[in-house]
Amino acid sequence: FFFLMIRRPPRSTQGVSSAASDVYKRQVSTQSTWDFQWCQRRSMGKESKSQFSLKKVKQYILVGRAKPVAGQKEEPKVYRMRVFAPNTVIAKSKFWTLMRKQKKIKHTGGELIAIHEVIENPSKSVKVYGIVLRYQSRTGYHNMYKEYRDTNICGAMSQMYMDMAGRHRAREETIHIVRTCVVPESKIKRAETKSFTNGNVKFPLLNRISRPPIKKFKAFARAKRPTLFLQQNNSDS
Amino acid sequence: LFFFFNDTATTEIYTRSIVGSVRCVQETGINAEYMGIKYIRDYMGFKRFVQAGRVAYINYGVDHGKVCVIVEVINSTRVLVDGPTLGVPRQVISLRRLALTDHLLKVAKGIHTKSLEAIIKKEDLVKKIGESSWAKKLAAQKRRAELNDFERFQVMMLKRQKAYLVNKDVAQTHAKKPKKAGKKEAKPKEAKSSQYPDIFHFTQN
Repeated sequence: FFFLMIRRPPRSTQGVSSAASDVYKRQVSTQSTWDFQWCQRRSMGKESKSQFSLKKVKQYILVGRAKPVAGQKEEPKVYRMRVFAPNTVIAKSKFWTLMRKQKKIKHTGGELIAIHEVIENPSKSVKVYGIVLRYQSRTGYHNMYKEYRDTNICGAMSQMYMDMAGRHRAREETIHIVRTCVVPESKIKRAETKSFTNGNVKFPLLNRISRPPIKKFKAFARAKRPTLFLQQNNSDS
Repeated sequence: LFFFFNDTATTEIYTRSIVGSVRCVQETGINAEYMGIKYIRDYMGFKRFVQAGRVAYINYGVDHGKVCVIVEVINSTRVLVDGPTLGVPRQVISLRRLALTDHLLKVAKGIHTKSLEAIIKKEDLVKKIGESSWAKKLAAQKRRAELNDFERFQVMMLKRQKAYLVNKDVAQTHAKKPKKAGKKEAKPKEAKSSQYPDIFHFTQN
């Protein structure tokens, strides 16, 4: 039974729910420093440990051209394209799809010269991003202009994809980004974006629930009934 | 003067507090003109708001347990947050991970970290937070969680002694003043601490 007493680091990165061993569930709020570090390492992504972001996509710049043909006098023109994709594989695929459609250069007849990921500086200020897009609905194609508040373009893009999926059932594959820009406050079109840009915006937080501070402490089974509301001193009464 | 804690008294107190909290009207986050009607709402008795300068406590994630300042509201679910001397890097955080406190700093939206640091130092925010009752409660909880077995035994003994003394006091009060029907007096659960020795303070740091 000794192996249960000694806390060992998990062999593989298991999900919390699949960590069925009793040892993890029985732990009280007094955590050993080792456990906390393990928690931190698990929750850390590639980004800074405290960044909370919805990043679904990354920004890539791809440079490509048609392959030079023997006997051609001029060098084939080089094209550069900005693509939003979750990884390089999909970025390349999107690049060649558009090269084919717009420039009549196929993947077999072309060469990718460079692919760079554009990494923005970590979030320091909130901006309004305007995105012009074209998407395919069940009955046709539509153009749209959408605005999102975020600290970086990739975050705004991710919001857009989630938004389109939720509002129009448009999946990532059917959406083409036409143009993106940072919108200055005076040029904001959407009322909701404008209202949050206002420096005096304020609202109370309602329907609060208490939850354990780390996902690891979320208990599968509890002896008490769940608390449905948080007693907070938010009102005068 | 005795206070009668029967039903009518509680409703009186309730209505009084609502009247006191209705302030001048103001538009809220979602723009009224967008809806086509002038949508006006009062504070409805709320005291703590998500706003630039609001001090908030992070209760989930890697930074949980730390205090930060809301720098800018991004949308209804996320805010840009910063805590220069509080150990919180400037970051976007979900409002689900925050608990608002009573403290509010006078801060323009989108304030830079350095300027915020100066304000935090000027207002002595760390000290103010430490003085608040919930910070003290958290500290007590933390201390309680850190108790070793012997300390827990000591706490048990102290609780037992306290209970004995309180019950003794209550019994004596009962003996002096017989209970009258229809009159409810607020019985002092906590004994007058000045009379009794120092054993009532559990946190013996």
